Amino acid sequence: MALMLAGLALPAAPACAQEPPKKAPIVTNPPPTAQDWADLAKLPDWSGVWIPKVTDQDAQVKTNPPPWNAEAARKIAAMFAEEKAGRPVLIFSYCLPEAHPSWMLISHNAMEILFTPGRVTMLGESDGNRLRRIYTDGRGHPEISDPTFHGHSIGHWEGDTLVVDTVDIMPQAPLAVSEAAGLPNNGDMHVIERIHLADKDVLHVDLEIHAPKILTAPWKTTRIFLRRRARKFDIVEGVCVQGNLSERVSPEGDHIFVPVERTIWGNIEAPKK
Amino acid sequence: MLKSRKLAGALAACGLLIGLSTAAAHHSAAMYDHSRTLTLTGTVVELRWVNPHVSLSVNGTLKEGEEPALWVLEMTSPGNLVRAGGWRRDAVKPGDKVVVDFSPLREADRRGGALKKLTVASSGEVFTADLRAQEKGDAE
Repeated sequence: MALMLAGLALPAAPACAQEPPKKAPIVTNPPPTAQDWADLAKLPDWSGVWIPKVTDQDAQVKTNPPPWNAEAARKIAAMFAEEKAGRPVLIFSYCLPEAHPSWMLISHNAMEILFTPGRVTMLGESDGNRLRRIYTDGRGHPEISDPTFHGHSIGHWEGDTLVVDTVDIMPQAPLAVSEAAGLPNNGDMHVIERIHLADKDVLHVDLEIHAPKILTAPWKTTRIFLRRRARKFDIVEGVCVQGNLSERVSPEGDHIFVPVERTIWGNIEAPKK
Repeated sequence: MLKSRKLAGALAACGLLIGLSTAAAHHSAAMYDHSRTLTLTGTVVELRWVNPHVSLSVNGTLKEGEEPALWVLEMTSPGNLVRAGGWRRDAVKPGDKVVVDFSPLREADRRGGALKKLTVASSGEVFTADLRAQEKGDAE
């Protein structure tokens, strides 16, 4: 046995002399300095709660449609027909996030925007518009793509405008123009945003959306958010899957959830006459 | 008794799974006929204060003399109802007498709709459900 081990070990000896492969250097997020915190005060004031201007979302469905390619246009037309007939297609099923850029395009829920050193964070109200992390620390996009619902966002400031570049969005993420009309982007989507105050309490998100699998050209649109400071506008936690459930107390006295029936369009199954 | 308790627990656990597998989500309101408004008078059964769509069930009638029946009315999210319509989780409670204006489902054989306005009979308090209303006014 000892001989066998020795015999096995001999051919391996030259390999042991080789240099081990070099590991990639560990990249860290350094602790912010006092100056980093002080620099945040130089940024524009985006505090408060931002509500989407839904009436403008409604208007743009007709006034500024995306340049859908032929196949996409056919599908979208069918969705509008279904909506008109009272059978809206459920674009945002299974309580998945609206994803990027649809959160910016069609959300009906409020958001807030936080500045910390090296980061801008958008916090939505519900699972639909949950969270965007925008890195402003100078990093690039990852070399290896790992698609997510909101993609990988890097940003930089040009004066008082935050310029955001987003890639690595899941191909399943819908490009939606309403809650009942939108299509999976099918991959290679790239979104560039210029976010700035258009007035004291009006935030504009100028989007340029490249979705080559479903659009014939980049689609440009501006989405409007209105600032509210009254406390009644404070963000309310919204957990989408709760909509499938009713609150009940079990025979043992435990507070539990039980399911409710829903239709294929997403609304609660109403009692039959 | 023990058997039925176990069954309830099993159903609750199963229910969560069923909930995750059904298609519920943030949905369009195109299944309602927004060109029509009906008025329902009755008694609150339950206010489901949940995202993304709050719902109110009411046992009531559309016309005097009708046999009361259960109706289910949907709205926008709790956050939007607070901001746009002055709602609270305890805006109404089971047993409250209410008058509800709503747009009915286009499915004529179902008792459901989109709530437009709720009036509480005892207090006269009014709650609305138009999420676009919060765009009016200024930041304060």
